[in-house]
Amino acid sequence: MGPTVLYHCSCLSSSPLPPPPHLPSSSYSFHPLHTLFFCEECDAVRCNRCVSIEVSSYYCPNCLFEVPSASVRAEKNRCARNCFMCPNCRNTLSVVPSDPPDNGGASSPIGSLNEPPFFLYCNHCRWDSAEVGITFEKPTGLAAQLQKFEDSAPDSLEFERLKEHSEPFLRASSLSSTIGGHAPAHPSSAAHSHHAHSNSITAAASAALARDIPGVSKYNPLARSTSGRGGSGKDRSKNKDEMPEYRSRVEISKPSATGGGGGEADVELMSHLEDIGYIATLEQRWVNSWVSPLQTHELKPLRIPLHSKRSKRCPACAHILIKPEQKAQSVKYKIKLVAATYLPAITVALPHSQRSSAEAAKRSLAKSTSAAIDDDKNSTSDMQAGKTYPFHLALSNPLYDPIQVRLSVQRMHVSTASSKDGTSSEKARRPPFAISLPTSTFSVAAFAEAWEYEDDEDMFGVDDEELGLKGSLATDGRGKLRTVGVLEKRANVTIIGGEVVIGKEARGNVKFNMLVSYTYRSDDPAPSESNDGDGSSISNLKATATKQPEVKTFAFYTVVDLGHIIPREESRTDLDL
Amino acid sequence: MEPPIYYLKAEFIETDTGNKVSRRATIAGPQNIILGGKTIISSGAIIRGDLRRTGPGHAVVISLGRYCLVGEGCVMRPPYKTYRGNFNYYPMKIGDHVHIGAGSIVEAAQIGNYVEIGKNCVIGKFTIIKDCAKIADNTIIPPNTVVPALSLFAGSPGRFVEDLPESTQDMVEAQTKQYYLRFQALER
Ligand SMILES: [Zn+2]
Ligand SMILES: [Zn+2]
Ligand SMILES: [Zn+2]
Ligand SMILES: [Zn+2]
Repeated sequence: MGPTVLYHCSCLSSSPLPPPPHLPSSSYSFHPLHTLFFCEECDAVRCNRCVSIEVSSYYCPNCLFEVPSASVRAEKNRCARNCFMCPNCRNTLSVVPSDPPDNGGASSPIGSLNEPPFFLYCNHCRWDSAEVGITFEKPTGLAAQLQKFEDSAPDSLEFERLKEHSEPFLRASSLSSTIGGHAPAHPSSAAHSHHAHSNSITAAASAALARDIPGVSKYNPLARSTSGRGGSGKDRSKNKDEMPEYRSRVEISKPSATGGGGGEADVELMSHLEDIGYIATLEQRWVNSWVSPLQTHELKPLRIPLHSKRSKRCPACAHILIKPEQKAQSVKYKIKLVAATYLPAITVALPHSQRSSAEAAKRSLAKSTSAAIDDDKNSTSDMQAGKTYPFHLALSNPLYDPIQVRLSVQRMHVSTASSKDGTSSEKARRPPFAISLPTSTFSVAAFAEAWEYEDDEDMFGVDDEELGLKGSLATDGRGKLRTVGVLEKRANVTIIGGEVVIGKEARGNVKFNMLVSYTYRSDDPAPSESNDGDGSSISNLKATATKQPEVKTFAFYTVVDLGHIIPREESRTDLDL
Repeated sequence: MEPPIYYLKAEFIETDTGNKVSRRATIAGPQNIILGGKTIISSGAIIRGDLRRTGPGHAVVISLGRYCLVGEGCVMRPPYKTYRGNFNYYPMKIGDHVHIGAGSIVEAAQIGNYVEIGKNCVIGKFTIIKDCAKIADNTIIPPNTVVPALSLFAGSPGRFVEDLPESTQDMVEAQTKQYYLRFQALER
């Protein structure tokens, strides 16, 4: 891992300030730029932790068949065609005829006889369904052929009964919530979002719940809170009373009688156990929705769980940020508002480690070309306590207009008053390093399609008239250059030099929060309230100007991690060796 | 910007369309192999274009799109099976912007666009990998596996781990183009 830059999402928190970098919560608030979204309506970054999610379609990850959402529940969220998972290793099973594969070589080639019965075979661990007594007369419609086993399982019967029992109650409560006036917030939203969500958060919860638990009715918290008189605690107890008492089909105290195992039977089995392999591992058992056999030799093939494509909405204004194309295997999006098309991308590099790895690469050329580079990177990127290192930040501009950027390091919330003289009492609490960054504003040139031209030979050699100095990435021989400031500009990238002074007693990582604010020319009219189309206003930033350009400022936080500090004692012992 | 990756100019043959093929790679049956352009075949790689379907005439055995990378020591071998009593090889088709890490063995039938395969993987016979999928380092994908679009697979056997971000296509496109630009000749 080289040095990293991650971007902050406040996740609708009341404080826009990110947590200090040394707190564990920091890692939950910062994300790689390419995973973030951008809501134009709110002018804010959104992340996967805070967006609301709706399932837009379901498909089987093996046969890639798109399953209509109407049948998803009935099929218990799993593929109802020919797709099964190996209960032993979770690989996908193949259907093979009775002449087993891998036995005869040329004399009985696979597929040449195609003799029933067929069975499911794992070509990774060699498990086969004949072991558990499951064979098929024809090689198609396997799920349907297995349906009767699945339906007659005691847990399945119990679940159906329980569902039946609670159905009237659920229907009544969902009815009352609709009457309560919670019309869908966005009638224009995808026709496929089949749940009429009242707000995006409950929609997300309901989508998540519906996805995870086969056959369970969708979670609808509003059904509870709006059907009664407000006090949710009271409500719940009252509603519970309305339900008639449920009697289970099977007496739970003696499940062994039904063949379900458990209790005394399991104890008996365990006490005579000779090989731990006879017991199915936790992993083999808990991928199931139902109680699954304890013994390895009783494990049944599993229908493959469906996957889903999801739309994502802004949690604040409910505008759509991500809307995939319907086709299951399409990687295109009808709407895709990602942060990378709005915010400058920032990468960080430590010249001292890059230089050494580049040299190492050249040196090792005799042996091989690229393999050595990755290994070298790790060993040279560490920084030693008590030393000063330059670092480079490369900002690239995704906008079609130039931007003016200003960087500032967020002060640690510990006192920095005595940073000059370094009083010993304060030592422990002070940040163990100091960061210098250019304080003035600098520009990053506009993104131009021309840079995308694949055959652009000049990509690496653009003029830097503003600077009067050549790129600093290769300045070994030319004496000392300034390290803090604008170092290089090329295409839509500006490289900024910074410096870190590491304290003598420093430990841990050089990790700091950095505020990036930039101004750009906006062609946006003043935000209008009437704009309610979902995503109809994509890429306002990139639209061509028709009126007087307006300058806007946007600011966001990042956390920069330059890497590990080698404490002094360690580096000393290293030298001794 | 990442630092350049240097190679000795004498080691690589560069074609008109910008493919760079190491002289230390084994290209068997080159007439049956198609490289889309700006594709790099690293040293020690073995590409078995000679394992072609029986029968007369010319056949494409392995095709790779643009901006692909076949890492060092990779083995690319077309899948085979016996169908109706006849043993045969089947073509392997690989899209654009596909990187295959060093030491991996690939017997897939089809690999889409923008796919990343890590180091030391085994991609079993007739595997189908859809667009923008990623296979982590050291993953074993058993034969006939289907890897859906935008999913990360890892482990042995390779299993679904998570969905990849919506911007995967843009990321992989940028990375593979970057890699080609960084891959520079060192004259000596
Ligand atoms: Zn967030
Ligand atoms: Zn399926
Ligand atoms: Zn298996
Ligand atoms: Zn919003």
